Amino acid sequence: MRNGLLCDEPLSDAVEPSAAALDDLLKMAHRRLDPALRRIRREGVAIGVANTPLGPLLIAQSDRGLMTVRFLDSGDSSPFIAELREQFELHQDDAMAAVIGHEIEQLLDGDARAITEHPVDLRLVESDFQRRALKRLRRVPAGAVISYQGLAAAAGSPAAQRAIGNTVASNPIAIYVPCHRVIKSDGAIGNYGGGVERKIALLRAEGFRPDSARRIPADAVYGHLVTRIFCRPTCAAAKRARRDRMLIYPGVQGATSAGMRPCKLCHPGQAA
Amino acid sequence: METAPIDRLPPPFDEVLRRHEREIMRFLVRTTRDREDALDLFQETWLRAYRAYAKLDGPEGIRPWLFRIATNLCLNRARDRARHSRVIFDSELADHADYASSNNTHDELLQLKTTVARLPRKQREAVVMRKFAGLDYDEIAAALGCSSAAARADVYQAMKKIRLAE
Repeated sequence: MRNGLLCDEPLSDAVEPSAAALDDLLKMAHRRLDPALRRIRREGVAIGVANTPLGPLLIAQSDRGLMTVRFLDSGDSSPFIAELREQFELHQDDAMAAVIGHEIEQLLDGDARAITEHPVDLRLVESDFQRRALKRLRRVPAGAVISYQGLAAAAGSPAAQRAIGNTVASNPIAIYVPCHRVIKSDGAIGNYGGGVERKIALLRAEGFRPDSARRIPADAVYGHLVTRIFCRPTCAAAKRARRDRMLIYPGVQGATSAGMRPCKLCHPGQAA
Repeated sequence: METAPIDRLPPPFDEVLRRHEREIMRFLVRTTRDREDALDLFQETWLRAYRAYAKLDGPEGIRPWLFRIATNLCLNRARDRARHSRVIFDSELADHADYASSNNTHDELLQLKTTVARLPRKQREAVVMRKFAGLDYDEIAAALGCSSAAARADVYQAMKKIRLAE
């Protein structure tokens, strides 16, 4: 042993367990280690990058659903990933990311079904209010938009427009929680975390054609979710109606294909 | 354009466990020369590794990092044992005056453990990784965050002190 220690080589004559003895020892060790490890184990989350016509997206998905869809060029993702690793055991899953990429391509081709039906996991959202608002936002269908004011009302706090602004801006699941379908109450399409160009691209794919001033088109109509009646923005009936029940459609056709009928007071779609 | 930092994710923990458990166990058996100790330290090494795994940046250097955890656990235990057995040893010595002479190798081993325990931290870790784990200097350097020349120097200095203490 002394010789081994004094030369510049690893000890060669140290206790060397046989392969069989090592196997036995490992088996025994795992009987203790495995339950202990299970107790402290973090939940597994798949992570990957989806390449889409909108650019590369960072995707994270748990067993419950999609947790993150994030534009990679909208800022450094490393702090976000580091934080995610503290909570979850991440493993790279390119097949999962490819599925998401495909679903987004379908949306851009005008088919929103896969996106709408894909389950989401809102655990990365900070507060219950935000979760409530984002759940409500998920129910705004492709081909319609809602105002910040309307979403605030729908989330149960009509005065909380600013909080809604923050919620939408910090939406962790872009596209799947359709924060691109939230516009300003004055008809301007507003900002987008991934850049306004992408918001326009998404709205266009869904049948909305924002005009050159980046406002919703002049022939947009307001549809009431309960009465299933749609009005011109100027209609007295539409102004009296509760904001949280109003969605904005790109035109008569958008509202009609959503199963609504025109208002008999303002006759939307007919020459004024 | 920004690239995803997920390329820098370390491999799944289970994969690391599968890949390195044998050599870690072999190292622990060599170092502790005791089955029970090796089993204990194996468990502790992997639990510690798991807790720290989320903070590990990058897929490189996992092997030396694991050996560093195992090394430190061995050294801690050796230090505790040395302390503990010194107490027992002294009291036993009073009862059996011939104990020391009949236990030459035990005495020698204890002496060695004490010497190693007294080395500066970096030298201590380096010499255990080299002598007991059989890591090469590049790996020791990665585990200790220094150049491989510095790792070699640490092992050399440690060996010199051990030799002096013999």
